[in-house]
Amino acid sequence: MMTCLKRIVRRPIVASFLVLCMGQSQLHAQAPVDFSHEIVPILRKHCAECHSGDNRKGSFSINSRTDLLKGSENGSVLEPGKSESSRFIELLISNVEGERMPPEGARLEKKEVELLKRWVDGGLNWEQGFVFKAPAYEPPLKPRRPELPPAINGRTHPIDRIIDQHLESSSSVRPATISDETFVRRASLDLVGMLPESSRLDTFILDKAPNRRASFIDQLLADDEAYAEHWLTFWNDLLRNDYGGTGFITGGRKQISGWLYNSLITNKPYDQFVRELIAPTTDESRGFIEGIKWRGEVSAGQTNEIQFAQSISQALLGINMKCASCHDSFIDRWKLDEAYGLAAIYASNELEIHRCDKPIGRKATAKWLFPELGDIDPSAKQEDRLRQLAGLMTHPENGRFTRTIVNRLWHRMMGHGIVHPTDSMQTEPWSSDLLDMLASDFVEHGYDLKHTLRFIANSAAYQSQSEVFTPDAETRAYRYEGPRAKRLTAEQFVDAVWQLTEAAPTKMDATFVRGKAIPQKSTSTELTAKWIWSSDGQTTPHAAGEKRSFRKRFDLPKGFGQAGAVVTCDNGFKLYLNGKKIASSENWENPVAVRLDGLVVGQNELVVVAENLGSAPNPAGLILEAKILGKDSPSTGDKPLLTLATDATWEWTDKLPNDSGKFKKAPDDWQPAVLVAAQGVWAGVTPKLLAELNRSTNISMKMVRASLLKSDPMMRALGRPNRDQIVSMRPNDLTTLEAMELENGSILANTLTVGAENLLKRSWPNQEAFTQWLYRQAFCRLPTKDEQLVARELLGDSLSARGIEDLLWVVVMQPEFQMVR
Amino acid sequence: MEYENNVENKHEIRRDFLKKLAAAGSAALMTGQPQFVQAKDDSAGNPPAKADACILLWMAGGMAAPDTFDPKRYSPYKNGLEISSMLSTFPAINTAVDNIKICEGLENIASVMDRATLIRSAVQPDLGSILHSRHQYHWHTGYVPPQTVACPHIGAWIAKVLGPRNPVIPAFINIGQRLEGVGEVEELKAFTTAGFFGSEFGPMNLPFPEEAAQSVRPPKGMDAERFANRDKMFRRLLDKNPNRELMSDYQQASMLRSFDNAYRLLSSKEREAFDISLEPKEVLAKYDTGRFGRGCLLARRLIEAGARFVEVTTEYVPFLYWDTHANGHETLAGLHKEMDSPIATLVRDLEERGLLDRTLIVLASEFSRDAIVEGRPGSTASDQATFKVDTVSEMKHYGLHRHFTGGTSVLMFGGGTKKGFLYGETAEERPLLAIKNPVSVMDMHATIMTAMGISPKTQYLVENRPFYVTEDGKGQAVADIFA
Repeated sequence: MMTCLKRIVRRPIVASFLVLCMGQSQLHAQAPVDFSHEIVPILRKHCAECHSGDNRKGSFSINSRTDLLKGSENGSVLEPGKSESSRFIELLISNVEGERMPPEGARLEKKEVELLKRWVDGGLNWEQGFVFKAPAYEPPLKPRRPELPPAINGRTHPIDRIIDQHLESSSSVRPATISDETFVRRASLDLVGMLPESSRLDTFILDKAPNRRASFIDQLLADDEAYAEHWLTFWNDLLRNDYGGTGFITGGRKQISGWLYNSLITNKPYDQFVRELIAPTTDESRGFIEGIKWRGEVSAGQTNEIQFAQSISQALLGINMKCASCHDSFIDRWKLDEAYGLAAIYASNELEIHRCDKPIGRKATAKWLFPELGDIDPSAKQEDRLRQLAGLMTHPENGRFTRTIVNRLWHRMMGHGIVHPTDSMQTEPWSSDLLDMLASDFVEHGYDLKHTLRFIANSAAYQSQSEVFTPDAETRAYRYEGPRAKRLTAEQFVDAVWQLTEAAPTKMDATFVRGKAIPQKSTSTELTAKWIWSSDGQTTPHAAGEKRSFRKRFDLPKGFGQAGAVVTCDNGFKLYLNGKKIASSENWENPVAVRLDGLVVGQNELVVVAENLGSAPNPAGLILEAKILGKDSPSTGDKPLLTLATDATWEWTDKLPNDSGKFKKAPDDWQPAVLVAAQGVWAGVTPKLLAELNRSTNISMKMVRASLLKSDPMMRALGRPNRDQIVSMRPNDLTTLEAMELENGSILANTLTVGAENLLKRSWPNQEAFTQWLYRQAFCRLPTKDEQLVARELLGDSLSARGIEDLLWVVVMQPEFQMVR
Repeated sequence: MEYENNVENKHEIRRDFLKKLAAAGSAALMTGQPQFVQAKDDSAGNPPAKADACILLWMAGGMAAPDTFDPKRYSPYKNGLEISSMLSTFPAINTAVDNIKICEGLENIASVMDRATLIRSAVQPDLGSILHSRHQYHWHTGYVPPQTVACPHIGAWIAKVLGPRNPVIPAFINIGQRLEGVGEVEELKAFTTAGFFGSEFGPMNLPFPEEAAQSVRPPKGMDAERFANRDKMFRRLLDKNPNRELMSDYQQASMLRSFDNAYRLLSSKEREAFDISLEPKEVLAKYDTGRFGRGCLLARRLIEAGARFVEVTTEYVPFLYWDTHANGHETLAGLHKEMDSPIATLVRDLEERGLLDRTLIVLASEFSRDAIVEGRPGSTASDQATFKVDTVSEMKHYGLHRHFTGGTSVLMFGGGTKKGFLYGETAEERPLLAIKNPVSVMDMHATIMTAMGISPKTQYLVENRPFYVTEDGKGQAVADIFA
């Protein structure tokens, strides 16, 4: 793999194919001809087939400006500034058989010839570095299981067998294995994003079992909640999902947070994960393909359909479809038609193809990028087209799909992609064997993301000392010399500081319920809720499309704490608490657990808008149970302060509230709800209801993680992106403004002040004990004598909040703290 | 303040800065960060810089040109006044330049008009729905949102290409805009950023000028001695770190350099530039018309200390300040007061200090306003005036309450622009469209960049695509306005 600099020098650089090529240039009637936008397409369309790359018919090549000026076997064909006397132009307009160019097919349009003339007269300007030729490298599509080289020195892990061969062929020294302490810190930060608890470190060090590193990795990955809450950051960046941001203000954007969290915590197989993203079966995962609906007019290159094409390509295939969204790409093989083909899969109406924001008079046809795997039926319904796309994307022969994701995981673990940057999957990997082996292994293990992380973490290549790289690293091709140290992400840094200081906030911005569903077995609670509707459905079956509002008013005394509810409705519902929508679903088979945030002392009101779907009368039913715990008994097992369950005390009306759960005119016809006999098909939902109910009131004793919060100025300064665009790699450098935020920003300063107070409350025998604890926590090692002395000087003669605060700051600023090395 | 010695008036400092950053820069190469694309021929070479620093005075919310710098027929308030006949709600006054009149209330600015270039023909695209944050994004980045990459703010471009003027002072400082807790903040954050350049080139945000000093002081409750001691201990522990050699010097060095830079500012004399309370009372009084006025004073102090790009905004908050959907006349009378003395004083102060020639001041807004036309004639944009009446019957009806994109004023001082010069013209009767020398947002950018010595064709590679400082490198500077 070449480094960026090298690639930049060698890659043809072509100007300007920004998504926006809007009409402002019209203000300059005499603007010079735009080589990239105006000339390249003409030459490519009419001349390139015979006169570019290795083809030089008549010894004439348009590859470069020099080639063009060289002319043909008959000598010069054009001179800058002289279109009138140009043989090149002459042949383009000639109608003489055997002379005219191109020799067959349609003549150039008059407009095209005029442009070429103006270009010649304007001095034949050429974009620096641009050449007409096929890309030097075309990545394979099919998966490949490479044969493994023999193991060297007993290093049998498939990754190591390939890496060792790589090291040997580049005569590089094999990096040394890291210490247990370094391993524990690295694996913990990489896999679950947290500093290891020091008790865990102690246990590990005492463990003498030969496979203790493998068991440690297993333990980390078995902590589903910690894993999900760490990787949420990566996926939110990649799928541009967040709890706030542009677009939300006008409802132009939907979160996929709840779906994503559940997918991660259950380690949903990646093929299924992607199928649900592309062809959503519920609204929960729809936000990704819908993109951001911007207010006002947007350029043709940023409509929701084109966003779809771009997002699918970039996030799932490492393809940059942004160029081709506006015109045929100059940097890779993707064409305008292909971008629109993808867009048309999603489009619900006919999609007019636009080139640089101007319609070209053709409609887009739904089409997949790799027809060798099959294609989309353009006449199918949108829903079916999306399903077909989901199938093609996750097709077992689609190696591009699996290579893209394993490369991203490798990059997160090893600090440098096998293909790098990770969104440039059209470029050559530094080891195609490694990439292909990881991708095949991933498929063989059921598209299991955790498996691949475990697989990488168990390799000696991962457990090696970080590369100590020098500035020359960027002038040579990449070669593996150990993982590259990674800077903590904003979220990792914030979490780590909170771990040290116990100063994490207690509330999160994410609206989903944390943790995994608790199986029924773990609790003795019985469900008391009954299925209700406006009638029992016995004499007159419930009509299809029937919509009902149900409500329950209840008083709450002071002293209530955590509250949660589980709800489902055959077929769908929207739940409002005190005029705020808190949950909705159209999939009655999956009950929704929801935290009841927004309860008040005094009167509260739950309103549910319930809907019966279908084309013929069919049973309808709503079931909801809520538990409100007392402040002093905040655990799931405790007897709740109040239980609310759907029963005949609920009321219904056929008046419906607006989107905020408010009625235009207060209904005066509330009637008691009627119990509905539980249907056979509903029985399967009951255990889920119980598990979800317990989850909804389960206060996770675990610290709130930064990934569950909206961004703040400190996280922004530390590189958490605005998630308007897909981000697959965050910057690895600490900048001056970030350093300023760390030096005197109020967020960190306040956290450390609170943290110092928290820590002072513990009893420390002496300053040394505190320093030792801090070093173990922060660095997974003990301080050296020298470090102890400096720390002692800073802490002073007795432990004080001020001394602790200063030492905390000094420690979290150390590069050793801020890097995963 | 005696900061001049620290300030390099040419771009030499950038070279030095680049040298220092060489190591960090190479690290950046490996992260897929944007790379400068060297122009092949002179056509894309940088023009000679006319200015070393730039102050953008941002009239957020849509500054009505007919009620500020482009007065038209005046219709005094009267009950029953037909809105269709209302062009300006302020009478015109004379300025220091014979052929330039501006609106009553701006007498101080009128008195420095002989130092100004006034463009009356700036135009904006009609984006269907005339939305402030989108037009502000466009004006600040040169690109109409949404874009497939995060576009850098104009200040970030200047910071990226030219670097800091004084290495201690952040190159891009943004004064007066809150980014938390006000309406449309997410939309504002989308362009108040260095985008794909990364946060090194992003803004230092100082929403409250009077609190700016706090942002360059040690954290609250920490005295200078403790702050210095903390830094000293940080370095000593770093020296003693047994694992130092196991980490690339390279990575550590770039991290430490950032700490050095931050510490240098926080403990430097220059940080006094952030403290407007150090200004003599009589000077402060001339600026102290409100947050914007104090922001102008802060901008002056920062420019003196060596800032490269400073934006001072009246602040965008939906329906406040220039965003007049009702009661426009009275609101503008207040805004005139708030801007008049500070802007004129800023110009005179910089002139007195010999800094005006090399400092470009640009006063601009996302669009103008009109009493009748939304967008421009023929626009499909929905009318966003708060009330729809044909005649004025209350004071709140009196003013320009529609968004107008067909002709907007931009006022410039210094930085090599002509003095007492009028460029472009709008029609005398509605629609008040630019009828001479229209200047697009793209060309406005080209003009500012050219003044700063940056070619409008300057490009960086991002995601392997060239990205230009002006759309497709096509921006053309308005050459006529330069002396």
